[in-house]
This record gives sequence, structure tokens and C-alpha cells, in this order.
Amino acid sequence: MAALTFELLAKCSVTKARAATLHLPHGPVPLPIFMPVATQASLKGLTPGQLEEQGCRLCLNNTYHLGLKPGQATLDAVGGAHKFQSWPHNLLTDSGGFQMVSLLKLAKVTEEGVRFLSPHDGSPMLLTPEHSISLQNSIGSDIIMQLDDVIATTSPDFARMQEAMDRSVRWLDRCIQAHKYPERQNLFCIIQGGLDLDLRRECTAQMVARDTPGIAIGGLSGGEAKDEYCKVVDTCTGLLPEKKPRYVMGVGYPEDLVVSVALGADMFDCVWPTRTARFGNAITARGVLNIRNAVYSEDFGPIEEGCQCTCCRRPEDGGLGITRAYIYHVTAKETAGAHLLTMHNVYYQLNLMKQARQAIIEDRYPGFVKGFFGKLYDEDKGKYPAWAVKALGGVGVDLLDG
Amino acid sequence: MLQTPATNIGQLPPEMLDFTILKSTGSLAPRLGRLSLPGRKTVLTPAFIGNTSRGAIPHISQDNFRKCGGLEGVYIPLEDFIEKHPQKTPPIFKIEARDPLRKFIALPNDTFTVLGARRSPPISTPVAHTNTEISLLTSVGFRSMTSEYYAAAACKLQPDIVVGLADIPFGQEVVGTKRKDKMSDRTEMWLRDIIAKKNGMGEEERKFNIFAPILPIERDLQSWYLEHLLDDMVDKISGVAIYDAYLLDDLPDELHHLPRLSFHVPASPQELLRQVSLGMDLFTIPFINFASDAGIALDFTFPPPAKIGDSPRQALGIDMWDPELAVSVTPISGGCTCNACTKHHRAYIQHLLSAKEMLGWVLIQIHNHAVLDSFFTSIRASIEAGTFDADVATFSAFYEPQLPDKTGQGPRVRGYQFKSEEHGKSGKKNPKAYKKFDEEKIVQLRAAHGQNKAVRDLVDDEALVGLVGMTDMEGVKLDGVALGEDEVKA
Ligand SMILES: [Zn+2]
Ligand SMILES: [Zn+2]
Repeated sequence: MAALTFELLAKCSVTKARAATLHLPHGPVPLPIFMPVATQASLKGLTPGQLEEQGCRLCLNNTYHLGLKPGQATLDAVGGAHKFQSWPHNLLTDSGGFQMVSLLKLAKVTEEGVRFLSPHDGSPMLLTPEHSISLQNSIGSDIIMQLDDVIATTSPDFARMQEAMDRSVRWLDRCIQAHKYPERQNLFCIIQGGLDLDLRRECTAQMVARDTPGIAIGGLSGGEAKDEYCKVVDTCTGLLPEKKPRYVMGVGYPEDLVVSVALGADMFDCVWPTRTARFGNAITARGVLNIRNAVYSEDFGPIEEGCQCTCCRRPEDGGLGITRAYIYHVTAKETAGAHLLTMHNVYYQLNLMKQARQAIIEDRYPGFVKGFFGKLYDEDKGKYPAWAVKALGGVGVDLLDG
Repeated sequence: MLQTPATNIGQLPPEMLDFTILKSTGSLAPRLGRLSLPGRKTVLTPAFIGNTSRGAIPHISQDNFRKCGGLEGVYIPLEDFIEKHPQKTPPIFKIEARDPLRKFIALPNDTFTVLGARRSPPISTPVAHTNTEISLLTSVGFRSMTSEYYAAAACKLQPDIVVGLADIPFGQEVVGTKRKDKMSDRTEMWLRDIIAKKNGMGEEERKFNIFAPILPIERDLQSWYLEHLLDDMVDKISGVAIYDAYLLDDLPDELHHLPRLSFHVPASPQELLRQVSLGMDLFTIPFINFASDAGIALDFTFPPPAKIGDSPRQALGIDMWDPELAVSVTPISGGCTCNACTKHHRAYIQHLLSAKEMLGWVLIQIHNHAVLDSFFTSIRASIEAGTFDADVATFSAFYEPQLPDKTGQGPRVRGYQFKSEEHGKSGKKNPKAYKKFDEEKIVQLRAAHGQNKAVRDLVDDEALVGLVGMTDMEGVKLDGVALGEDEVKA
């Protein structure tokens, strides 16, 4: 059962890029999409209204954090995370497993689940697939993720990799069993298998057979080479059904998004754009600018020329007309500075995907990709990252041509 | 005794301030007034104005400022903008536009601006003032600024109102008589400087209105200054800035028609009421921000609700850190119509504070400003109705005399607060609640999974709220672009 419909609108005639509308319980969202991460039911100082104004209709919460604070009982009492944070649009939650493994000492994965010591009192605890789903049922997110067995993609231990992949499939079955509200929450499977393409193929087949409403590709962007990353995404999307959304977890640099879309991925999330804002970094089409650099202290232009975010938009057009010089003036000194730049960065990421979608619909995605890299690297092809050139070459776009 | 309305605004030069006293029952009594500046929202007094820090009300980004409405004016300290002085021209003076200060801080056109030299409250400086200079604190340290420079800044920045420089040795407990003589001499000299500078402005330049400081010293010790003010400056000033509300008794009658801006820092709503009862008109209220930083949501109305029997005095605010609020799905205050109360409940705000999410302080700050806004609306209604003294009495009987104590952690201690506490205190201002991950751990985490950035995020959030240092964070390189920090280390 699914609580979504996937409306495929267009496919790029050259690359594997797709444009779609994903109809979720809290409204439609355009694909491809970038999803900002509101880890603890809040996005870095922004009110839900401010997030909405940047165009966001789907953001993430982290199950691990919400399970600790405010906790399942409060979530049940309040009626879920939408009501808790007054967010009228869609939410996606992870399973919580990864964060337990990575944040807590002595976390250990067994067939039952993830064993760990409570950060509150040190008592032994266990996160099972059933418990993860129960938490996500309480959260009420529109998209929920299965608990998976996550290990580093760079792990040389093939047997462990195989075990993790097989276990993730078994845990998916337990998650499906445990899921109480398939009619209003969409459970996504997560394809594992490290960088081994055969493992990935096998896992994809197993996961697809379970017919979840959406499919995630997990275990990536953990420090592996970008070439390897692209191969995995390309391999998986090649085996996935056309009419289901594909979510690549934890990916968020603009180049990664543009290339991954060409490889057939639809959904992305990353804390980087909002995290980096708090250190004065602005994402622009010409690269990341650290506005704390003194060269911006007298730059009275907008953060990015032409940007239509709340900060950059001109006052005549209902925006604030915030300048780089003002961001320089206020950033890291008042929290409002972080809020302003966070809005810009969220807008940038959402707008990048919006433009990509439009280009796909108009069947000019290859041109869009070339324009994107040209601007980012100031038309200097020598600076283009080799992995991007190679990956895009694999789907019919020669970045270095013309 | 209602005064005759002033001249029709339309006949005045465009930047002229008009203040009309709508109701007054004599000196040292509460009064109602209306302050208008062409092109700006008219403010009914008594009222308060926003107290900005680096161009924004702390925690309130400029778009939220617009959404919250209500604030007709803001106070802006020049010391927030001139850290490059004197080595370099501060960027604010390089803006080639009309109304540069307003543009720079993205303030709405209809909000009036009051420019002063120091923040409210000011942080005491170790350097003494001289005959021509006051000392102040910028974000990079103590600086001196001449009266000449201040006057020039006022001309360039085009605020609506400029508070004349006052020679007040902030933080000095005992001030000798000789020093007080000097205070009055210098303040007079500096006021003359700014009046002269304004008179020298070109026809086409937008003029500011000058508020003359009234020093926090006995009348006879500033009698020369006050006499000269009456003799030949009274028609050049549009208001007075009062540093000690209890000396309002000493204010010469000839200055009674002018609006009074208080720089006498009130510690509580009761103290505000006391100042209102003495005839004060305009306030900056630092305790709003102190309460918000402490996680205290103000919760009082004027006059208070009916007292039930012998119930104990009510608290003036709610400590939003209180774990008991974690399941409270009611707004902060039932009757409040602010954006925080209409959209969110206590449980969420409690969660945000304990999770150290910045939004917690944003929502409390929005609410606290709304509470003061209603407070002043009610004060004006009470003066109008002639029940002010009685209402103050019931207020004092109903509420505790002081704001609740802070229990939780505040947001990152910002530069100006840090320095204000520096005297006599040592040790870390931002205790570490969490240990920073060591390098090995970070590498290990990075390797783990696609969501590895979430791990760093947790660390960074701590950085933002000040639990770990911010300086060595974000050493990430992104395709050759260094994302290091570039702090002014002048
Ligand atoms: Zn922008
Ligand atoms: Zn409120």
C-alpha cells in the first residue's frame, strides 16, 4: 500500500533525469527535490513560515533526536511531529539507526537490532526495526525509512558488507510488518551493498521485490570517491522501476545534485547548506562565498544577484534587500545573521532543483548541466571535477564539448 | 490639561518631529502624547522602541521584524557600526544611497530611527572620556570617538533622531563634584557641536532631530548646561534623553513640552510603571532581551487579572526551560496574539530550548516584545481612563517585584555581553556541556554513512549556542574553495 502517487511528467531525452510531481499526504512536491534537514524539529532558527516562504514543502526530521527529545510519549500526546512543530507540509524521517551507531559509544548491531547505551543513564537499550517504525508512526512523517544495517562504504570487509546488505533486507520485512499506518505514511526501503556493484544489484532486486512506495539508495557520501558514488547511483537507478521516487540519502553539494539528477535520482537531503550558513557561507551559482571574508565588508550587492530569496529580493519586490556587507556585519555576532543566510542557502538549493526540473520538462537538461558547471567554474573547463565529467559522459553529456 | 495641538505637520519641513501632549496632569505625573515624524508611523506615548544589536533586534531577522509589526521605532547605537574606525572608514559610511543606515540594516521605511553613541545599556569602558572624545566599545575592542566624528556620522546616516553625546562615566559608582562639573561642560560643548553640524548641512540633505541629554546628576551641578540649553539651544532640540528618571523633578519647565526618551534602564515592569508615573514618554527596554536570552517568556498584563483570595504573588514570566512544560500544548499566554502564541505551544518551545535550537529564543523574543506592546497599550488606556495610579497599585500587589531567575543556559554569549561581565569575573563564559568530538572520532564518523554530516551538525549546533568554540570549526574544503573563517583581527 502507498500513501503517495508518483506523477512522472517528463524524461530527459539524453540523460536519465526525470521530472515528476510526488503527491504526498501533506500536499504535492516537485521532483527532483532537495530536502532541508530540521534535525530536532526546527531548521536552524527559521520559523516554519520562513521555511515555507523559501519554497520548502518537504523537510526532514531525525528520528533518533525526536525519540530522545521530546520523546515518543510527548509526540503521541501532541499528535505527531507536524503538530509539534506547526509544519503543515510534508515530513520525512530517517530510521534513527545510523545516528545511534555513529553518535553513541559501544553501539553494536545484532540481528535483533542496534544495541546501545542510553545517553541519559547509560542503561543498555535496543533499537529494533519494530521500534524504529513505531517511533516513526508516532512522529507521523509522510515518508518513513526502514531501519538498515549501515557500515562504511569504504569497509574492506566483504563478508560484513554482504551480511549488512542481507540483514537490511530482512529488517525491511520486519519494518513492513510493523508499520501501522501504510495508508498515511510511506515506507521507503534503503538499498545497501557498499561500493560493490554486484551486491548493490542483488540488494536492489530484493528491495524492489518488496514493492515499497519509494526507494532510497543508502550508505553513500561517507567519504568514498565520487566516481564510485556515481557508479552505485547509476547502477541502482538502472534497475529501479520508473514510477517510483528515488532518494539518495545524505547528498547535498550543488554539483552532486545536478549530476545525481542526470543519473536518475529524484530526492536528496543534506545538512550542509544550512549548517554552513551559520559560519557565514553563502551558496551561489558561482560557488560558495565565505561572507566573513573582509572583502565583503563593503560589498553592497545582494548575497547573489538575481536571487529571489527573502533576503536578496529587492525591497521593491517585497524582499529585504540584504547586502553582503550587512551579512558580514552581523554574521556570527547575532543569530539573526545565521537566519538570513540560512534562508538564502535553503532557497538556493530548492531553486536549483526547481530550475533543473523546468529544464527536464523542456528537454534541455544537458544544456542546463553545462550552464551550471560553466558558471560554477567561471567557464574554465580545466577546473571541472573529473568525476563529474566522467559520470555525465556516461549518460551522454560531454561537459568539455563546446 | 490638554495642550493645543502643534502646527499642522504638512506645513513643517519634511524631517520635522512633532510631539503633542494629549493629556497631562502636571509635572511628575503620567502623560499621554503623540510623536510623529513625516513618513514614519505615528507613535502614541508612553511607548517603547526596539533595542537593536548590529542592526537587528536580537534573534529577530528583518523579515520577522516586519511580520511581528507593532514596533514604531528602533534605537541604534553607532558603536555597533564603527569597529574599523579609526584605521579605516567604516563600511556604513561608504553607502551611496539615501537613508543609508536604514538601507543597510533593512529597516522598513515607516519605522523611525533613534541614533545614539552607545548601546543600551552601555558597557563601561576602561578609558576615560576627554574634552573632545568619548570612549566606547566596538565588536573588536574599546575605541574613542570625537564629538566631531559623531556629528558627521549623524549627518551621513540620516537617522530621524540623534541623541546628543553625554559625558557619563558609565560604571563608575562614585563621581566627584569636579568630574560632574566636567560632565556638564562637555555635554554642553558636544551638544553645541552637533547643533552646529546640523546647521551646516545643505538644503537638500535630510535633517535629523536632536535629543539633548539630561545628565544623571543633581540639577545644580548641571545648572550651567541647563541654563545655556534654555538660553540658546531650546529651539534647536526636539526632545530630551533622560539618564535618571528620578531627577525628572529637576527638569526645567521650559523643556516640559519635549518628548522624553529614557536611558534609565528599568529592571522590571514595575520600574517602567514608576518611570511612566513620573512622566516618561519613550523607552528602550533591555530586560526584554535579557529575559528572552534566559528563556523566560514574559507573562503579565496591565492592569492584572482579579486577584483570587490570598493567592501568592504571580511570577512576571514563565521559565520555558521548566521540564514540566514539555507536554503543555497551550500557548505561552492564553490571550497573547503574537506569532509564537498563535502558532506554537509551550511544549515545542521547551523542546527547542532544551535541544538548544535557535528558534526557541526567536519565539520567546517575539512573544516578549508582544507582551510589552500590550503592556504599553494598556498603560495608555489606563492613563486615559484616569485609573493609572490605582492600576499600578494592583499590579504591584499582584506580581512579584522581579523577573524570575534564570535557570537554563542562554544562547551563545555575544561579544558585548561577554565584555560587560568581564569585570571582576574570570573563567569560561560558555561552559562546555558536551565534549567536542576528537579528530579520530570525526574521521570514524565520516566514514560511517551518507548522513555523516548530521554528526558534525550536532557539534556545530553546540558551537552556535556557545558550548564549544566556533573558531576552529568548518575547516572543510570544497573543490578548492577554502571555507575557513576570516574574523577581523585588527
Ligand atoms: Zn538569496
Ligand atoms: Zn505571545
